[in-house]
Amino acid sequence: MTGPDSAEPQNPILRAENISLEVINGGTRKNIITDFSFDFYRGKIYNILGPSGAGKSSLLRLFNRLDEATGGKISFNGKELNQYNPCRLRRRVGYLFQIPYMFPATVKDNLLYVDPSLSDDTIVSMLLEVNLEPDYLASNVEVLSVGEKQRVAMARLLIMKPEIILLDEPTSALDEKNSSLLLKLVKNKVSGDGITAIIVTHDSRQALMFDGETLLIIKGKLVEHGPAKQLISHPKTESGRSFLKGSGE
Amino acid sequence: MTGVGIENVLISLILAAVALAIGFFWKIPVQKNMSIGIIRSFIQLIAVGYALKYVFDLESIWLISAVILVMILVGSHASYSMSKQVRGAFLISFAAIGTGSLITLCFMLILKIITFEARFIIPLSGMIISNAMNAAALAINRLSSDIKSNRLAVETALALGKGKRESCRRFQQQAVIAGMTSILNFMKTVGIVALPGAMTGMILAGAEPLEAVFWQLIVAYMLLSSVTISSIIAVELTLTSHFTPHHQLKLKS
Ligand SMILES: Nc1ncnc2c1ncn2[C@@H]1O[C@H](COP(=O)(O)OP(=O)(O)O)[C@@H](O)[C@H]1O
Ligand SMILES: [Mg+2]
Repeated sequence: MTGPDSAEPQNPILRAENISLEVINGGTRKNIITDFSFDFYRGKIYNILGPSGAGKSSLLRLFNRLDEATGGKISFNGKELNQYNPCRLRRRVGYLFQIPYMFPATVKDNLLYVDPSLSDDTIVSMLLEVNLEPDYLASNVEVLSVGEKQRVAMARLLIMKPEIILLDEPTSALDEKNSSLLLKLVKNKVSGDGITAIIVTHDSRQALMFDGETLLIIKGKLVEHGPAKQLISHPKTESGRSFLKGSGE
Repeated sequence: MTGVGIENVLISLILAAVALAIGFFWKIPVQKNMSIGIIRSFIQLIAVGYALKYVFDLESIWLISAVILVMILVGSHASYSMSKQVRGAFLISFAAIGTGSLITLCFMLILKIITFEARFIIPLSGMIISNAMNAAALAINRLSSDIKSNRLAVETALALGKGKRESCRRFQQQAVIAGMTSILNFMKTVGIVALPGAMTGMILAGAEPLEAVFWQLIVAYMLLSSVTISSIIAVELTLTSHFTPHHQLKLKS
């Protein structure tokens, strides 16, 4: 498992070793994730690409311990996930759901929910960072568009100052403008603050857009990985070729 | 009319026969249920009457306790069968109903509102336990279905570093209220819409109306206490049964 470039001496911020996820549904066992291993490094963007139903969301949920892997080991900063208090771990490994959920209140309340001691100045600067006018603070979340909700959810996430952000299909409900806003924001966070972003998508164009190391997951298995452009234009495996033929372009 | 005997009951069966006849002529398809209901209520109540007479005559602490335990078990089973979809529903119901009922009964004894006599303990326990049972079942169901239908809301809170309790706070409160709704409504309308059964029974049996009212008030506060305790315990335990110790939502699939 070698990283994409020469930054090797650095320890991985997140390391997955032979993890598996097995669920029992109506008496039958089903392997959702099989023997997944990978090292994620600080300050980089990773795409997890694969067809719908491949197990991408299920995998992502293991990284902040929303679910428990049934086999293998996941370490964050060199310590196994179960060594951390789960609530504190989740503040360091932020998760953005595919459908943003807003607590029924104002935008400001949603931000204060994470940290009630936030000053008004910090809140305003958070909003500006995600490209929302400060006028939105007093708005009820019901009046927001999906794109705006996604940006509030992003601001809410960033308030926790996470070291890793896990984004599940972040642009699937967004139009072009909102997608490119999100893209810019994520790239800024990664290059500016050294955050690690792990982005799940079923769309190879989105993976190309975010760029970065791309992991191809099919039927719960890591099939191959490599820089987005290279993996998508020259997949090495048969299953990679057949998936990429049907997606993107 | 004090001194009611079995002959009065048999005569009142005429009323039941009239109802049955009306049902027959109007072709309302309930004759079967009605007949069964008439026979069943007769047998059940007569049997309970003899059983109570036996318990009252014996006045044994062990027998009284055993009766209470059986009532709690039956109540827990009824609550469980109304909320089978919840993991551990029987134990949750048993803990909620048992704790709510016993704490309330103990207080009544400690505060010397009642003495440890079968004629107080048994009927009051019956009322306490059946109310606690309904409250527990409603609270368990409400919380469980709210968590299921608000999975994204709960997991969003978890992902923002909140614990299971905080992630479900809204739903927890709603579920406790759901368990308490009927006792709260009862206290609002009592005496205005209808005289409660216990009070009616006492007046029929020849008690002073004011004495009947005092007892009814005691019963109302006693039920409020047991229903509140049972609802809160049911909600706490139901919440716990929906999560792993690591604040992960677990849904029965
Ligand atoms: N709790 C669960 N019980 C049973 N099956 C599940 C559960 N969670 C996910 N799955 C199944 O796992 C597979 C992968 O799902 P998911 O991770 O959502 O895929 P993706 O995000 O790649 O579209 C799907 O077949 C889904 O039906
Ligand atoms: Mg998914």
